[in-house]
Amino acid sequence: MDMKLTDEQSQLQDGARRFMDEECSMDFVREIEKGDLGFSRDMWRQMAELGWLGLDLPEDQGGLELGILDLTILLRELGRHICPTPFIPTAVIAGTAIANAGTDAQRKKYIPLIIDGEMIVAFAYQEFSRFFDPGIIKFDARPDADGYVLNGTKMFVEYAAAADRLLVVARTSGSVGDQTGLTLFLVDAKTDGIKVIHTPTMARDHHYEISFSDVRVPGEDVLGRVDDAWTDLEPVLQRAALAFAAFTNGAAFELHEQATAFAKQRVQFGRPIGQLQSIQGYLAQLIMEILGSDTLTMFTAYNMDRGRSVRGYVAKAKAFSAETVSRTMDIGSQIFGGMGYMEEVDSTLYLRRGKQYELMLGGTDYWYDVVAEEMIDVDEPVQLT
Amino acid sequence: MELDWTPQEEAFRQEVRKFIEEELTDEVKGSMFINTPERVAFVDKMKDRGWLGLGFPEKYGGSPSPFPLAQFILNTELERANAPIVGKNVGTIANTIFHEAGEEMKREFLPKIFNNEGQWSITYTEPGAGTDIGSLQTRCIDKGDHFEVTGTKLFITSAHFAKWHWMAVRTDPDAPKHKGISILIVDVDSPGTSINPMYCIGTTTAERTNEVVFDKVKVPKNRLVGDLNKGFYYMMQALDYERFAIIAAAQHTRRFNTILDYLKTLDYDGDRPLYDDKSVRRKIGRMATRIEVGNMLERRCICIAAERVPSVEAAMNKAWGSCMQDEVCKLAQEIMGPFGFLVGGSEHAGLDGYIVEEGLMAGHCKVAAAGVDVAKSIIAKRMLGLPNPLGKPVLPS
Repeated sequence: MDMKLTDEQSQLQDGARRFMDEECSMDFVREIEKGDLGFSRDMWRQMAELGWLGLDLPEDQGGLELGILDLTILLRELGRHICPTPFIPTAVIAGTAIANAGTDAQRKKYIPLIIDGEMIVAFAYQEFSRFFDPGIIKFDARPDADGYVLNGTKMFVEYAAAADRLLVVARTSGSVGDQTGLTLFLVDAKTDGIKVIHTPTMARDHHYEISFSDVRVPGEDVLGRVDDAWTDLEPVLQRAALAFAAFTNGAAFELHEQATAFAKQRVQFGRPIGQLQSIQGYLAQLIMEILGSDTLTMFTAYNMDRGRSVRGYVAKAKAFSAETVSRTMDIGSQIFGGMGYMEEVDSTLYLRRGKQYELMLGGTDYWYDVVAEEMIDVDEPVQLT
Repeated sequence: MELDWTPQEEAFRQEVRKFIEEELTDEVKGSMFINTPERVAFVDKMKDRGWLGLGFPEKYGGSPSPFPLAQFILNTELERANAPIVGKNVGTIANTIFHEAGEEMKREFLPKIFNNEGQWSITYTEPGAGTDIGSLQTRCIDKGDHFEVTGTKLFITSAHFAKWHWMAVRTDPDAPKHKGISILIVDVDSPGTSINPMYCIGTTTAERTNEVVFDKVKVPKNRLVGDLNKGFYYMMQALDYERFAIIAAAQHTRRFNTILDYLKTLDYDGDRPLYDDKSVRRKIGRMATRIEVGNMLERRCICIAAERVPSVEAAMNKAWGSCMQDEVCKLAQEIMGPFGFLVGGSEHAGLDGYIVEEGLMAGHCKVAAAGVDVAKSIIAKRMLGLPNPLGKPVLPS
């Protein structure tokens, strides 16, 4: 048993690290935060050229067909640089959803656009609820002559203003509380009746509230099963949650490294503060948690790639990575002293973003509920050895 | 990356499980603080299978193991079943003898260990030397044809049933403190030793440890382990192994599952099962996650163990894992409210008092084999490269 990366995985990691070091400085992140788009189209094109946008998408549709483990290795590097990118909504969520649930025609049309970096998809899922459960969805879609009419409001939609398509989860039957009765739509973002409102965030990333008023969507834009979207979507969101866990682990690793380096340099009481046992205790506790989180993410990815039942493990990995990144940013920033809270200092970007990551793609309450379901409500909880 | 067990490892695991299923009785399960005839008989059955000397050469009574993780798998399964593990006798003592002692000592003691011929007592700690074990004062004087040992040792858990002390003594009082310590093997019944029991906090099944006083105890010269004055180094080396071997994640999973099954039976609030309560469910979800993180930190040790003795990895396993017993018991008590403080003797006590007992002794798990703070210091020093807090200021260049 070993945790060494294969040669291919090492190349992927090293390549990603080099690319990020060159392209994604903190000045770059600051520029993106001020801009309207929320990411750089130029960087997005380069990611497409590197093959990253189709990393785990099927080979016969132009992807590299690598595993989720490879995806987590890549995203950990992006996370180290807190890279502002629609990678997860577009390449992971929309890419996987279309590859898994799309018709032949949809796959032929959209997957190459995603892989080539020519289509941004925003994921319109959450609504006016603190939870991430599909049961909360009220957003209404009703059949009419040649398609559907959509009405309702979606919250926390990243990159909606830049999106070409919106992947919308709507209720086509049943009532609030049901996991069934949902349908996925891949809606043209320019359709009449869609209103996009920017919602400022502490990460200064690009989140939006979008409202639909009698938006007409053709039947061909239904993705996957009508009235049963959750069957298609849950595995996609598990993948996304794991990818995001890897991203946030990367951010935690990086801030921890910066805080450790600072602790060796900063002299008080005639010695570096890193020589004080209290500071050492913080840094040791954090790196232990970060490595625990990282190993849990990788272990889950490894088992997901082998088709094993990992629902509880994904929930554990996502929840623990969320706690870890938030705690690392909190305690790590304190090591910088007063400067850790000054706008001009790079670590504050990690603090703002990392503490927001904790709450994204389902907060810890939601994921701990999933762990509890897997521990309590099943006869034989899955224990991977 | 290869995170699955090999077919060979998996087959061995099944063999161990079958053995446990057939041989483990209720009398054998339980605490490492005791040594009953039933436990000795159980360990003898492991001995018959050659499981005490896995990985050691046959000429010393060992059974060369075809793969490095055999002993780990054995202990994991034993922990899972709450059976006696192959612990310090092999982990600390046999390893150190094998790597550091002379041929005569290897031939005398290794077969005894692998044949389960008597227990060992780790005899390091003193009233004035706990975490700072390098400051121990028990004096060992070279009397020409023998050593003479005088001093007091504390928390010597196995002294009242062990046959030998594996003992740290000061052989050079003038050298810097870490460079004047040696390891001796001392017969427990040597004239001049006296054992005074001390009882751990607990209510129904108080566990025992001991103070041991040595008054001019004669020890043969050939009982010196390895080189004179190298004892501190041997102790530190063995602790790495012990942190990995003894603080196994499997025991926390087992304890958590036992407590979960018990909580499932509770319905204090009338007809509403405890598990319908959202806050209870979330606490359990969070605890299950933290137990899994322990499994992962242990997995990091396993992945390295085939190549070398885990060091920083073992410190992390220790620092995290040893907090789990406390967290699990505290969680159960939190959920149970005032029922959480009832002990054996009350029909409402959690698992007949087990939860309180385990909770009270949970801190012991944290302080044993170097405390959580010590483990964190190891991480800070060996992994993060931070300078020794007790040393001279290390100013940045």
